[in-house]
Amino acid sequence: MSVVPRLLVEGEEPPRRDGPLRVIGRSVDRRDAREKVTGEARYSSDMKLAGMLHASILRSPHTHARIRRIDVTRAAALPGVHAILTKDTTEGWHTYWYMIAQPAFPEAIAYAGQEVAVVAAETLDAARAACQLIDVDYDVLPAAVTPAEAMKPGAPLVPVLDVERPREGNVQQPVYVRTRGDVERGLAEADVVSESRFSLPTQYHVDIQTRCCIAEWDGERLIVHEASQGVWNVKRELAKSLGLREDQVRVVVQYMGGGFGSKAGAQRVVHYTARLAMMTGRPVRLELTRPEEFVSHPRRYSADVTMRLGARRDGTLTAIDADVVLDIGSGSLYAGRYAITLHQISELYRCPNVRIRVTAVYTHTSPTGPQRGVLDPIATFCTEAAMDDLAARLRVDPLALRVRNYAEHFQAFEGGKDLPYSSKHLDRCMRAVAERIGWERRDRMRDASASGPRRRGIGMAAYCIERGGYAPFSAKADVVLRPDGTITLEAGVVEIGAGQITILPMIVAEELGVEPARVAIHHGDTDGTHYAPSSHASRVTSEMGPAALQAAALARARLFALVARELEVSPHDLVAADGVIHVRGAEMRAMSFERACALITDDEIRATGSRAPNPDDVVFRLFGAHAVEVEVDVDTGELRVLRIVASHDIGRPINPKLVESQQYGGAIMGLGYGLYEEAERDGRTGVLLNADVHQYRVPTSLETPAIEVDNIEGEDPYYPYSAKPVGEAPLVGVMPAVRNAVRHALGVGIDALPLTSARILDAIRARDGRHAG
Amino acid sequence: MTATPQTVKRIALRVNGRGVELEVAARRTLAELLREDLGLTGTKVGCNRAECGSCTVVVDGRAVFACTLLGVEMGGRDVTTVEGLAREGELHPLQAAFIEHDAVQCGICIPGILMALTALLDTTHDPTVDQVNHAVAGNLCRCGTYPNTVKATLAAARALRQRHADVTTAKEAR
Repeated sequence: MSVVPRLLVEGEEPPRRDGPLRVIGRSVDRRDAREKVTGEARYSSDMKLAGMLHASILRSPHTHARIRRIDVTRAAALPGVHAILTKDTTEGWHTYWYMIAQPAFPEAIAYAGQEVAVVAAETLDAARAACQLIDVDYDVLPAAVTPAEAMKPGAPLVPVLDVERPREGNVQQPVYVRTRGDVERGLAEADVVSESRFSLPTQYHVDIQTRCCIAEWDGERLIVHEASQGVWNVKRELAKSLGLREDQVRVVVQYMGGGFGSKAGAQRVVHYTARLAMMTGRPVRLELTRPEEFVSHPRRYSADVTMRLGARRDGTLTAIDADVVLDIGSGSLYAGRYAITLHQISELYRCPNVRIRVTAVYTHTSPTGPQRGVLDPIATFCTEAAMDDLAARLRVDPLALRVRNYAEHFQAFEGGKDLPYSSKHLDRCMRAVAERIGWERRDRMRDASASGPRRRGIGMAAYCIERGGYAPFSAKADVVLRPDGTITLEAGVVEIGAGQITILPMIVAEELGVEPARVAIHHGDTDGTHYAPSSHASRVTSEMGPAALQAAALARARLFALVARELEVSPHDLVAADGVIHVRGAEMRAMSFERACALITDDEIRATGSRAPNPDDVVFRLFGAHAVEVEVDVDTGELRVLRIVASHDIGRPINPKLVESQQYGGAIMGLGYGLYEEAERDGRTGVLLNADVHQYRVPTSLETPAIEVDNIEGEDPYYPYSAKPVGEAPLVGVMPAVRNAVRHALGVGIDALPLTSARILDAIRARDGRHAG
Repeated sequence: MTATPQTVKRIALRVNGRGVELEVAARRTLAELLREDLGLTGTKVGCNRAECGSCTVVVDGRAVFACTLLGVEMGGRDVTTVEGLAREGELHPLQAAFIEHDAVQCGICIPGILMALTALLDTTHDPTVDQVNHAVAGNLCRCGTYPNTVKATLAAARALRQRHADVTTAKEAR
């Protein structure tokens, strides 16, 4: 069976452009950089509409409770109060997040901070004062705030926010099991079985812009300004929730201050705001405070994982067995199996016998949801840390162990088919980082006489994650050429800071043979665009890229038809480059792009590009590796990350400096996850005690080490110009590389994140305790 | 809303080089004054408690958090916000460098970072990497622009030194 790569668009593959790339591969300045550095950029929180009301949320102080009675009489009587929403006035009303229905105001409280009422008033002060005047009687109930508690027989049930999710007690059903071969036999066959247990924490997004939405209703149309990663998702979810036709809802996002996965679906708060706008006939603004961000919006799943790796003496893997218990809070594990497969545990290395079990447990804590990388950081950490533990048991070099077990092709689970990857250059990535970090120094570092408290170590990690487009594969874009020479790309994507609105015009410019600045982009608006996926899951390049490319190529073909008639040649003889359309081999027979557009007799040339579904005979994955050098002070437990080297298998960069920015940013967020960010929760109430950005420590400039990137490029024609996604991958592999470097420095692996000095000192004591006496 | 009278004070200050006079409620922060009374929304409020730095502005030459300064204390002071960096449409070298070196991603932290660095560059013409990192240590950027922030700032400092040298040379030539 041969696999013929092709660009993933509906219908005919677009006509190929001529000649070398002129735009793709250039580090063009960001399209909106000027507005961002001058303060002209208006985020949703900067907008002021005439007659705007302000909303505030009353939240439950109790972790698990049932609302017996709500009385809003006193609140409603406060001057300036226009509307109040509670369960009494919104019975049967659902909000939708990634199209998962949730009751807007359930009677049952699942976590401390859950919404009980929302007030819209003339001023924020009035709204807040009114909230204080709402009388609520609760029946307070016992709570289970950890998976261990929640799984005990007779544990109080979490009144999950998601509607209709099968469960057994507090365990989501089904318990997910995926196998390949016979893992018990594989473990029995092994000469060595290495078992490790890992504890991976939750993580908060800490978007610097908190959720802020403004909704206005004129009796027929709802217009929403949001801090969102996806205008089309929000549009559809609001329409469904509010019983409107989709054409009655418009969502606009031109700038947004950070999402990282937390803002890709419609937030509960935007539903409240929209409904209040419809009730009052006034624009309504709702902005979450920083503490509210911590309390209520979904965060990364935490996990306890037991890994067993079985291997022969020579390092060949015979078994991989992973048992994962996820804490998914009070709900919102978003749609589908994907979110809990953690299948990369079974894919990263060649191994015939694999089992992955995933138990997702509800607890009375705030909801969980996707955050940059989703479950990949967990899967990658456990796999890569376990590999280094195995290497230590076998007394082999960890890099050599990885190379020995390199997986050339995709290995399916039971019932699936082994398939080729669309492209894979992980071996080159691993070699690149090993070379740059000076892997050969590793053994010498251990042998060096250890005087003084500082120990250095070098570690590495590889990753393999699934990104490359997702259902429904409905991304569409239009390219419009007008007689006055203007070029517009209409693409409903949101610019979230990765450069979406810079690279898509670059693709169009490449196809049309013009400078990128000539291509305008109408974006972040459900009016005037087709459906576009949210800017999340690293999907814009792989889904919108082909659509924009096809649209531009089709527009070019129709323009060529006009030019061909004019120049009396065949359209196949024409080339578009450097702002000119000329006859191939006869550059003098040419006309400028503007002159060509003037030939357009209708209002415009409009061409639509559409993404096609992923084929089922090839597998799309992203690969890369990190190598890290650290220094640990064994007296204080202080860890310094001296240097990070990364190499990502990126295909071809559309815009190298934008790619680099994602690779820095992802690595820094990964360091936050693994070194600094720690949620401190009250053991009884599950309440987050450090709900502020001072005590929940996200990395600052002072925590940022030297990061070098040396990417591997190669062809992968399924992607536009072979450009593979880069938004999340750089986060995934950093922490296991750091942990493995610490393992090298100390001779012991630390299995709980974050790697605080307390944990490091505990590990040193445990190591020495084991060796003492 | 309520009948409680708010204490209000008339103050006069300079904002981005222009004299401004207005009535300010006693509890209004400088950030609210700038964003809501003067419509200068470049300055952001990310936490409202001096922890994220997105509200950084320059007051009498010093980088400060506008969310925890009271407007009524700003009488007679010189306030510069991100809107005051460009001169007649020409970007400040720091702004230009941020664009060139891609020190901007989602952009929400950028006004605060630019103002923290403006204060640094006004007094330190040849900053070290360490000095740059310390100048923005109070500005959180979740997108992780820090490596490019350093590159951009060093480039801007070079450009400013060059500009200063050119001006000095031109003066001496006369």
